[in-house]
Amino acid sequence: MKTKTIDFLLFNIGAIFVGLAAAGIMLTFLGENPIRVYSLLFTSVVRDRFTVANIFVRATPLIFTALAFAVTFKAKLFNIGAQGQFFIGCLVAVGFSLYLEGFLVPGVGLVIVFFLTLLGGGIYGGLIGYAKARFNANEFLVSMMSTYVALGVSDYLLRTLLMEARGEYPQTDTIQFYRLPIFVGGTRLHIGFIIAVVIAILVWVMMYKTTLGYRIRTVGQNREAAHLAGINTKRIFVIVFFISGALASLAGFTEVNGASYMLMRGFNSTIGAMGIGIAVLANANPISIIFVAVLFGTLIEGGMILMQVAGIPHSIIPLMQGFVMVSVLISYYVRTRVATLREKHRLQKAVGI
Amino acid sequence: MENPYVELLHVSKYFAKVIANHDVSIKIERGKVVALLGENGAGKSTIMKILYGLYRADEGKILMDGKEAQITSPREAIALGISMIQQHFSLVPVHTVTENIILGNVRGVIDRAASEASIRALSDKYAFGIDPNATVASLSVGEQQKVEILKALYLDSKLLIMDEPTAVLTPKESSMLMQFIRDFAAAGGAVVFITHKLKEVMEVADSVVVMRGGKVAGTLQKEGTNEQELAGLMIGKDLIPTTGGGRSVPDDAPVCLELNGVTLQNKGEVSSLEGITFQIRQGEVFGVAGVSGNGQLELCEVVCGATRPTGGSLTLNGEDITGAGINERIQKGIGYVPSDRQRDALVMDMTLAENMMLKSIDDPKWKINGLLLSERKIDRLTQQAIEDYNVKAPGPRAVIQGLSGGNQQKMVLARELISGERLIVFDQPTRGLDLGAIDLVHKTILAQRDAGKSILLVSTELTEIFALSDRVAVMYKGKIQGILERDKLDINRIGLLMAGYHDEEEEAASV
Repeated sequence: MKTKTIDFLLFNIGAIFVGLAAAGIMLTFLGENPIRVYSLLFTSVVRDRFTVANIFVRATPLIFTALAFAVTFKAKLFNIGAQGQFFIGCLVAVGFSLYLEGFLVPGVGLVIVFFLTLLGGGIYGGLIGYAKARFNANEFLVSMMSTYVALGVSDYLLRTLLMEARGEYPQTDTIQFYRLPIFVGGTRLHIGFIIAVVIAILVWVMMYKTTLGYRIRTVGQNREAAHLAGINTKRIFVIVFFISGALASLAGFTEVNGASYMLMRGFNSTIGAMGIGIAVLANANPISIIFVAVLFGTLIEGGMILMQVAGIPHSIIPLMQGFVMVSVLISYYVRTRVATLREKHRLQKAVGI
Repeated sequence: MENPYVELLHVSKYFAKVIANHDVSIKIERGKVVALLGENGAGKSTIMKILYGLYRADEGKILMDGKEAQITSPREAIALGISMIQQHFSLVPVHTVTENIILGNVRGVIDRAASEASIRALSDKYAFGIDPNATVASLSVGEQQKVEILKALYLDSKLLIMDEPTAVLTPKESSMLMQFIRDFAAAGGAVVFITHKLKEVMEVADSVVVMRGGKVAGTLQKEGTNEQELAGLMIGKDLIPTTGGGRSVPDDAPVCLELNGVTLQNKGEVSSLEGITFQIRQGEVFGVAGVSGNGQLELCEVVCGATRPTGGSLTLNGEDITGAGINERIQKGIGYVPSDRQRDALVMDMTLAENMMLKSIDDPKWKINGLLLSERKIDRLTQQAIEDYNVKAPGPRAVIQGLSGGNQQKMVLARELISGERLIVFDQPTRGLDLGAIDLVHKTILAQRDAGKSILLVSTELTEIFALSDRVAVMYKGKIQGILERDKLDINRIGLLMAGYHDEEEEAASV
């Protein structure tokens, strides 16, 4: 058990370094000195309090979208539509925040907006599960296309109902009252990050310590046996997609009420895809997701600064993320192979060869 | 002295955590049938998969005609004239016989007519009666196996390895297969026949290699050995046949399960169950005999609630359960040991403990409180089951995939006996199990009967039905052909019923 944990850490950290090194080679083709880029990247993100805190601000929505993918993945279902559920979350959060502006104390208002967002995203996600359960629709395609529906709804509302009072741009007014408190003074780090970590832990508890999680995993591993054991697999489809959609929409809540305080067109349009990558890297483990999301947050923040201070194209960041991801995936294969060889060796020794 | 056709020398194979084969040597001669006999998990399939190139040996070598051969993939094995027919067929159901057979061996433009003609010729040569244009999905399991054999013949194989080929066949198909094996060997081919059935060994083999625990326990010629000696080598101890089955249940014993005209017919299809009516009393073993695929699976699923009948009704202890779902029936005390345990009963990638809770997830005995599961309690109860059923497993946290078939089945039993408080449905409970495990399953069934539970036992093994049942029903094409009392059991009569003759016709014929 212990060697397994050591293996896990060793191989993952090793793989991240290998991935970064491979991306470094690519940098030389772009005419950049990889050592300079990396030293700049990692010194710049720790240059001051504000930047360090920003890493966690950027990691916050990524934790949610990664959790959204991980929950369905455990049931061998694919929610590719976290981006759309995030948009729905943003709309509900910003809509109700502005609608309730001034009526309630900020604390109460935030709690209400939190739950309304969760409900909105949950229902939007749950519809995908319902389509799967009722019509045996392909959840991969339905969830993917649902993102475009959400995008269309969002564009429409930003030009009509939710459009700013000035009526100039397709964006909302600024939320004044219901803002998530900042807990590290002088930075942008809001309590959304703490909410994300707590929810990741709760998702872990749900997955491995409750009967619901057990049912979800059973449906993922063997649908036939789950059915014959009296588990209502169709209900599990709906529940899983409800949870997944709710998690993705919470990214909208923390982004709108914690970071931007408003919603505009094309807001955070890549966090859904990044969430999938993070979940895969973390092997769909909710706790690992927190750490991988922070790593990705670091790369994003570092990339922004690189562009500002050194004029290095910001697009090298997805390049690095891609290399790290491929490298970690390969390391899974190597790790199981090493473990098997080790067991084999031990066995041969035991029988005296 | 002439070198044998194929010779495996001191071959060893280690998987993580298990020794699959250790120092195995086997000689295969042209024109001879070698039976590879052993219990499940004895390493029979593994050693042959090494010869077929699916696995690589960690130690030892393979000689062909005295020269060392490197076989690293099935492609190379096929090129050397070796074919293996797996337990699970590798056919594409929607393709025709011809398409399946030429798959992987064609390039460029396909001369369909020529392939078809040569396949037809091969089929005729061995009297298989397979139409090369038939779609594989429309063929019975026995015919599909013939297609697999034709595939090997088409590739001009000199050595046929067959992994438990009779497991899926009816008695008639089995005897036809035996005939084919003899013909093939007589024509100079070599056959390796993997089995755990002693009868088949005595019927068809020239020499017998007995394996136990990954090692060769003995290599014998068929002349000069007998079933007792082989069984002794195979299980390492003398075999005790199950006794104590079959007794008369008093007529006034309360009825547990009652089926009344149960029919299952999907729109536009032939009915898979038709007017099934019978009663099972408390403390009674009700056997259902029949050739597999005559509605037995559907009957089990209707009883456990996985399928709703389209007509008729079911009652359990006088209470109507026709409309009850699976979960409700589990609550009411119906246990189900399905025939395909890996697909229907177990979650192979989960631990023993997780599989233990599958049928009773909401039971407070697994939980700390209403919400959280208690690992301590789950482990303790699973450990108890491991000890009670003598399961060979490292512990409750072991993944069930790593266990042998017999030990997996023991875990299914452990679980279903607990949830099946009133009625337990056994569908082919000993399929693919070794003698030791079969014995344990049989004893368990009788013990449950003695504890007052009702047993619905479906089996295609007549010896099993005879050994355990109090009454026997025979199924044919979704109908019950007749129900025989214990004292009127007669193998010839059951044979006729299984073949589709009605009781009346039988009586008429005998007059």
